[in-house]
Formats: sequence, structure tokens, C-alpha cells
Amino acid sequence: GRALLSPLRGAPRALRGLAAGPEMHFGFQRVTEEERREKIYQVFESVAKRYDVMNDSMTLGIHRVWKDILVHKMNPSPGTLLLDVAGGTGDIAFRFINYVRSVRERQLQRKLKQHQNLSWQEIFENYQEDKFNSLGDSQVVVCDINREMLKVGKQKAQHLGYSEGLSWVLGNAEELPFDDDKFDVYTIAFGIRNVTRIDLALQEAYRVLKPGGRFLCLEFSHVSNPLLSRLYDLYSFQVIPVLGEVIAGDWKSYQYLVESIRQFPPQEELKAMIEDAGFFKVDYENLNFGIVAIHSGFKL
Amino acid sequence: VRCQHYPPLRALQASAVLRRVSDEHKKEPFTSSSQQQFDPHPAAHQPEQEPQGPHPSYTGQGGQESEDYESEEQLQRRILTAALEFVPEHGWTAEAIAEGAKTLGLSVAAAGMFHSDGSELILHFVSECNAKLSELLEKEQKLVQLGEAEKKPTDEFLRDAVEARLRMLIPYIEKWPQALSILLLPRNIPSSLSLLTSMIDDIWHYAGDQSTDFNWYTRRAVLTGIYNTTELVMLQDSTPDFEDTWRFLENRVADAMNMSHTASQVQSTGEAVVQGLMGAAVTVSN
Repeated sequence: GRALLSPLRGAPRALRGLAAGPEMHFGFQRVTEEERREKIYQVFESVAKRYDVMNDSMTLGIHRVWKDILVHKMNPSPGTLLLDVAGGTGDIAFRFINYVRSVRERQLQRKLKQHQNLSWQEIFENYQEDKFNSLGDSQVVVCDINREMLKVGKQKAQHLGYSEGLSWVLGNAEELPFDDDKFDVYTIAFGIRNVTRIDLALQEAYRVLKPGGRFLCLEFSHVSNPLLSRLYDLYSFQVIPVLGEVIAGDWKSYQYLVESIRQFPPQEELKAMIEDAGFFKVDYENLNFGIVAIHSGFKL
Repeated sequence: VRCQHYPPLRALQASAVLRRVSDEHKKEPFTSSSQQQFDPHPAAHQPEQEPQGPHPSYTGQGGQESEDYESEEQLQRRILTAALEFVPEHGWTAEAIAEGAKTLGLSVAAAGMFHSDGSELILHFVSECNAKLSELLEKEQKLVQLGEAEKKPTDEFLRDAVEARLRMLIPYIEKWPQALSILLLPRNIPSSLSLLTSMIDDIWHYAGDQSTDFNWYTRRAVLTGIYNTTELVMLQDSTPDFEDTWRFLENRVADAMNMSHTASQVQSTGEAVVQGLMGAAVTVSN
């Protein structure tokens, strides 16, 4: 197998360990940082095409609600510049665009209502100038480290008719290809769990946000209720990998998924890490008893 | 091992936005007697949080540690004050707060620190108005003490105080009904009630009135009733410079003064607000 492909991997493990960095977790396995990045890349490369279908079947469609809640919490106003990291197939980006569009529509309606005695000409002109600004200058940049995921996302956008205010960038959350103080909001939905150096990703998030900007993270978290926790474990370890095999033909990737959730820091620990990166007013909201949590912080 | 522990970098990073407090002190307008604080997020949020090593960000009133950065609360207040300018256009909403944040050079996302219904903005405004009123009354009292002004009779004092306070609503009067309805939300009632009662108590304190037969509860209830009813009248007043409102106020105060001579009692405290809203129900007892 793999050992044949690269001479480095044939080396004694201890030596390899010294050369390639500290040990980390990949699900329940122990690996080096570099190995972890590679393995995760491969996971997503292989699931990319079935990503959305699997999300629906594993969470029984509830992930859609979680993502809706995230965008509602964000409550973006027109003109907001959003960076969606690990945004892969575009779920958050599309919701953001929809939200901003409807807020903008309401704004325009209100503006028109105030002008009671417009001539037809004036009304026509009003609609004209705003036709080209239906998003109110809002923009979302979707950044993902995985080419396959971006590809799927772009196809989806085309298919669903999203074009305005949307851009796709290949990039690494630990080292973002953007300048300082650029974005109003930074989101990372179900992505931070897969980042190898979370602290670096948080620091990068801090860096690229404008002063006053907001960090939002949606991620699987820890269930404290013991009964629910047992049921959740049962479902996770018995059902999900099977679904993975049946629907996507890929047991191992979904085994990794479930394990990575267990390895991820619980709510308070993540909150502390976010604070360490420099964010203020850091708080979290549990969804579904802690199966998922939304963490929020501000660059103040 | 869940994750590697990396040493906290916070101590090394200066805050991006929180200003040094020495800048702040030049601008602080309100007097210590009138710090009417409400806590929008009781309990769940520990006050720990300012862990920068060399820059603890709590500042005492006297600014003992001039090297401090302002606290999050102070920044939030700055944002809300800046947001007031946009209320006539956007109403008491998250949009107004976002615009306010923009003028301070912050991202519009900073409005996410507050509730989307604008509660904190309104409570902040009420608190600021009350503070301004206290300052005004304090100044007047000083003038009287120095002998540079006459002490006003109680009815005139009350009239002027209520008028001064209500006039502060004038720039926002169109959107004020919306604000009142938000203040009446169950979540906001403890704060709005407490702000109201301390303002009323403040006025009575400066009125320094010893002559009437009212006891403390009655005074509170009566003045609260006068204030609330006058406020409601003001919302529907379209006369120039709200003349009708001030005339209404004059009459209500006169009624109240007459009441004292007939030794009537109005049971209250918790009912003060409801009383006010229904108009003061007067029972003549003998």
C-alpha cells in the first residue's frame, strides 16, 4: 500500500516523528501534522460529490436548519462582506445571499413607501438604479482548501442561479490569502474540526476581520445530557458509517467524521481558544442540546 | 489529547478597537450620582474577561489606572450613542446601530453585539436622558444654593423638570411609540421600570419638598402618573412646540397639588406604571 509510494514513510516511526512534527489525532488514529492534512484532504476529495446528500441523510436534513440559524444569527445588513471559510459547497454563501437580498428588498419597499407622490417616471427610475444593486453591495468569498469541494460548489451555484456577489478562492484556513482588516464577518461551518492547527486558523480569522468584525463558528460539539449522549453515540458509531458505505461507498471517511467530532474540543474549551486569539464578547449557543454549537466573537 | 495547548497570545496583542481610557476621560459627561446601570446580560457572562496582562481593562470611576483600555461596555455605549443619530431615519433597530458602528470606524457586524430589536439602544437612550436631567437639576440646585436663583415652588419645579425631560424626546418623537412598545416587552420591563422609578425619585429628590402630606410611595405614584400620561399626550400632540402637552402637564400637576390638601392616598409602587397608564385614579378619603 502506501509504504511503497514514499520512502519517507518506510522510515522507523520514531525518526519520522521527529522529522515531521508532533503527533496529532486523525479521528481516533495518531498521526503527524502533515499526515493529518493529507488524510483530511483525501477524505473530502472522495466525499465531495456526495457531500450534500450525505449531510441530508446523516442529520435527517436538520443541518439545513442549523445553517439557517447561523445566518439568522449573523443578521447581515446589505453591504456586508462575508468570508466563508471551508465553505466548500456553498451552503452558507447561498443563504447569506438570499438573506441580504430580502433585507434589501424590504429596505427599498420602505424607501418607496415614504415617497407617496411619485410620478410613474420616478418610480421607474427607482427600480432601474436598484436593479443592479439587489444585494446592496454585499459580497461573499467562499474559501476552501479542497479543489474538489470548490468545484462542486461552483457547479451548484451555476445550477441554482447564484452569480452576483459571489467568489470562490482556493486557500488554507491556517494561512489565508487575504489582507488584514478586510471582512465584516468570518464564518466557518463544520470546517474548523478539520483544521489541523485551530489556533492558527483563529489567528488568521482575527487578522482578516475588520475592527468590529464578527467571528462565527458552527460546529459539532459536546452533549452533556447523559441519556441523549448515549443515543447520539449509538447513532454516530452504528448508523453513520453504514450510511456512508451505502450511499457514498465510503465507510472510512464517515468513520473519520464521527471520530473527529469526538476529538473536537467541547464548547468551553473552544470558547477559551477563541478568546486566546484576541476576540471579545465570545459566547456560544447550543443547538439540539449541544450536538451542534454556534460560537461567536468580535474583534474589538 | 484533544488539541495542543498553545500559550495565550492575548497579553501580547493590543486590542484592535478598545481605546485607551485616557482618551475617554476627556469625554465622559455624566456625573457619578446618575450612573443608572442596567445589565442586559445578567449572570451568564463573567466579568473576568479582560485578560491582557499589562492592560487590565476595568477602569474605576476615578480612572485610577490611566494605562487602562476601555471596557467592552464602554465601547458598546459609544456605539449606541453614535447610533442615536440614525434613529430618526431607521428607527430603533439593528440598522441604526450598524450605522452608528460605521461612524466609529467599526464594521457593521458590530451591531451583532446587541439584540436585533433595538432594546439596548432604547434603554441606553433613556439612561442618557435621565443622566442629562439629573445634571440639569443639579446645576439648578447649585444656583439656588449660591443664592443666584430663587427656589421654585413645588408645582413649578415639577412642571419644569418633567417638561425638560420630555423635550429630550422631541428629535425622536416619530419613532418613540415603537420604543415604548419595546420597553414594555417582558424581557425589558425590569430595566425600563427601574430607569423610570429612579428618574422620578431623582426629580423628587431635587424638588426637596417637605411640605406636602404625601408619603414617599404616594409621591412616586403621583409623579409617575403625571409623567406617563403627559408622555402619551405628547405622542399625539400636533400643536406648535407641543403647547397642548405643556398645558396638560400644568393641569395634572395642579390636580396633584390639590390632592395633597384633601389628604388622599394612592397605593402603589409596583402599580405606579399601570396607574400612570390608566390615568391617576384618585380616591378621596376623609
